[in-house]
Amino acid sequence: MSDTTVPVTVLTGYLGAGKTTLLNRILTENHGKKFAVVINEFGELGVDNDLVVDADEEVFEMNNGCICCTVRGDLIRILGGLMKRRDRFDGIIVETTGLADPAPVAQTFFVDEDVKRATRLDSIVTVVDAKHLSARLNDSSEAEEQIAFADLLVLNKMDLVSEEEAEAVERRIRAINPYAEIRRATKSDVPIEAVIGRDSFKLERILEREPEFLSGEDHHEHDSEVNSVSFEVSRPVDPEKFNAWMSDLLATKGQDLLRTKGILAYPGEDRRFAFQAVHMIADGDFIGPWKEGDARKSKIVFIGRDLNRPQLRRGFEACQVDS
Amino acid sequence: MSTAVSESDFLLAHRGVGQDLGAWVVGIAFGREGRSVGFALGDGTVRLAALADIRADWTVVEAHRGAVLAACADGKDGVLTGGDDGRLMRVAPDGTAVELAKYGSKWVEHVAAHESGIRAAAVAKAVHIVSAKGETEKSLAHPSSVGGLAFDAKGKRVAASHYNGASLWFVAAKEDKPRLLEWKGSHHAIAISPDGTHVVTAMQEQALHGWRLADGQHMRMSGYPTKTRSLSFTAKGKWLATSGAEAVVLWPFFGGGPMGKAPTELAGGDGVMCTAVACHPQHEVVAAGFEDGLVLLVEIGSGKVVPVAPPGRAPAGNGVSSLAWNPAGTHLAFGTEAGSAGLLDLAKR
Repeated sequence: MSDTTVPVTVLTGYLGAGKTTLLNRILTENHGKKFAVVINEFGELGVDNDLVVDADEEVFEMNNGCICCTVRGDLIRILGGLMKRRDRFDGIIVETTGLADPAPVAQTFFVDEDVKRATRLDSIVTVVDAKHLSARLNDSSEAEEQIAFADLLVLNKMDLVSEEEAEAVERRIRAINPYAEIRRATKSDVPIEAVIGRDSFKLERILEREPEFLSGEDHHEHDSEVNSVSFEVSRPVDPEKFNAWMSDLLATKGQDLLRTKGILAYPGEDRRFAFQAVHMIADGDFIGPWKEGDARKSKIVFIGRDLNRPQLRRGFEACQVDS
Repeated sequence: MSTAVSESDFLLAHRGVGQDLGAWVVGIAFGREGRSVGFALGDGTVRLAALADIRADWTVVEAHRGAVLAACADGKDGVLTGGDDGRLMRVAPDGTAVELAKYGSKWVEHVAAHESGIRAAAVAKAVHIVSAKGETEKSLAHPSSVGGLAFDAKGKRVAASHYNGASLWFVAAKEDKPRLLEWKGSHHAIAISPDGTHVVTAMQEQALHGWRLADGQHMRMSGYPTKTRSLSFTAKGKWLATSGAEAVVLWPFFGGGPMGKAPTELAGGDGVMCTAVACHPQHEVVAAGFEDGLVLLVEIGSGKVVPVAPPGRAPAGNGVSSLAWNPAGTHLAFGTEAGSAGLLDLAKR
C-alpha cells in the first residue's frame, strides 16, 4: 500500500534551547522541499517558500472517560485546513511552546480520524541546551517529558560546555530515555535528513534502535522521576494474555506511562507484532517476518514515572505461553 | 460495490454536467439571486457557473491566495468566502471579487450570512459581524477557537460552537452577552433548527449534542462510527439529516424526539461512510454524498433512492465534501475532496 499521508515532525524544547534556529535551518537549507510550519509566535522565522501557520495551543480533553486523553484541538483544525491544499507541500513541522507537554500533540495523531487519514506522525525532535539542561530538569517536569517523548535529541550549544559536562548531560538524558538518538550540535547544526523523514512512529521502526545502556551506572534515579525499563522474554507471548494485561495496565497506569513500545512473538506466527502506546492510547499491527535464524524474543520498553520494575517484569513474563 | 447500476442510470448523465476542478471542493453556495452557483476550492479559486446554462464554461475567480476554507451564499446575491490568507471575500454573480475584511495571519475558518445582508466570519476565537455595507460592526469573543457558525432563520441570532459548548448571540444586542450552551468536549459543525427552537452540534467524540432552547434540555445523539461533518435540517425542521455513518442518519425532531427515539437510517447497506448531506429546501428529500464519491437522493417517507453520481474510480480521497441545493430546489451541486464536481438541473421539463 502506498503511503499518501503527509509526514509531520514535532519540534519541542525549552525556550532558548535553539528550536527556532533549527527551524530556520530547515526552512532555509536548499533541499528542494516545501514545508508547512505550525508555530505559536510569528517573528524570527525567515520564510520564503514555505507556508507558516499561526496556532494557539488548545489542549482539549476527550470525553471518553480517560483523563489523560488530551488532543490539540487547534492542530486538528489546522491539519484539516492544510489538507485542502495538500499538494502544496512535502511535510509539516509543528513547533510547540517551550513549556508544552508533547503528549497531546502525539495523541492527536492516534485519536483523530481525519488527522490519521491524511497525515502521519514522523517523529518528535527535542532540542536541549547542553549548558542548562540539568537546571531545567531540576525545576520542571515538562523538560523531562520532552526528553521522554523524543525520538531524536539535539544536544545543542556544545560550544558552551566541556566534554565532561556534555557526557554528564547525556547520562541524564539516557536515564530518562535510552532509546532516543542523541546528536550533538552547535547553533542547531544538524543535517535536515537527520530531523525530517525519520519515520520513528512507524510500527516497523519500533525498537529498531537498541538502547545505549549505561555501563555500570544504572542507578540514576536520584532527581529524575522519569525513567525507563525494558524486558525480554524467550517463550512466545499469548496475544490474549498480553492484551488483557496491557489494557489493564494502560487503564490504571496510563497517566504515568509516557511511551510504551514492544515487539512480540506470537505462537505459530512468522511475523513480528509491533506495539506502541502514548499514555493510554495504543496502536499495534503485524510487521515483517522474524529474521531466519534469529531468536524470536519478545521485548517491551516502558518510559514513564514511578515504574515498578518487578511488577512490570512479572506482568510481562506472565504473558508467555505455558512452557 | 454492486455494479448492477449502469452509468446511464445516474441522473448526472442526462440532467447535469460533471467537471474536474483539480482541487478540494471546500464549499458550494448557490446565490440567493437564483442565477449562479460558486464552487469554493482548496486552490483559492471560486468557480462560478450560470444556472441558465450549466454547460457553458465556468468562470474562474481568484478569490484567495491560499485555500478557501469556508463558503456560503452571501446576503443578497453571490458567494461569501473565508480563506487561510486571513481574508473575507465576496464574489458577485458576475465574478467580481471584493475583499470585505482582512484579519492578519489568522485563518477565516467559518462564514455565515443571512438574506438581510448581515454576515459573520469566524477567525480563531472571534466571530466578526460584518454589515451589508461591508463594515465590521462588532467582534464576539469566545473561550476557545470557533468550530462552527450558523445564523437562525430570521437572522436575529448567531450560534458559534467551541470547546465545552456553544454560544448563542443576539446579533443586534446593545450589550453583547451570549447564552452559553454548555456541554463538555469539543464541538464543531453547528445547526439551528428552522423554527429556532433547537441548537445541535457535532462533536469530536463521534456524537451529536443538542439543546432545546426553551428549557435547556440536553439531547445526546450518539452511535456514529466516524465524526459527523455535515448537519442539515429538513425544510420544516421535522428531521435532522447527518453524515458520519454507513447510511444517512435522520433524527426525528417531532413527537417528543429526538430524546428516546431511534434515528431512521436510509440509503445504507454498502458499508461506505456518508460524508455530506443536504436537505431539499421544500420537500422531505435528502441529497447524500459518500466516501467513495457516490451521490444520491433519498426520499425520507418512502426510503426510495435515486442515484445521482457514480462512485469515483479513485479508491480513497475522493469522498464527497460538499453538497448544496439552490433555494428554489431545482438545482443540486456536489463536489469531492479530489476535485470532481457536478451540477444538475432537476427542474420539471
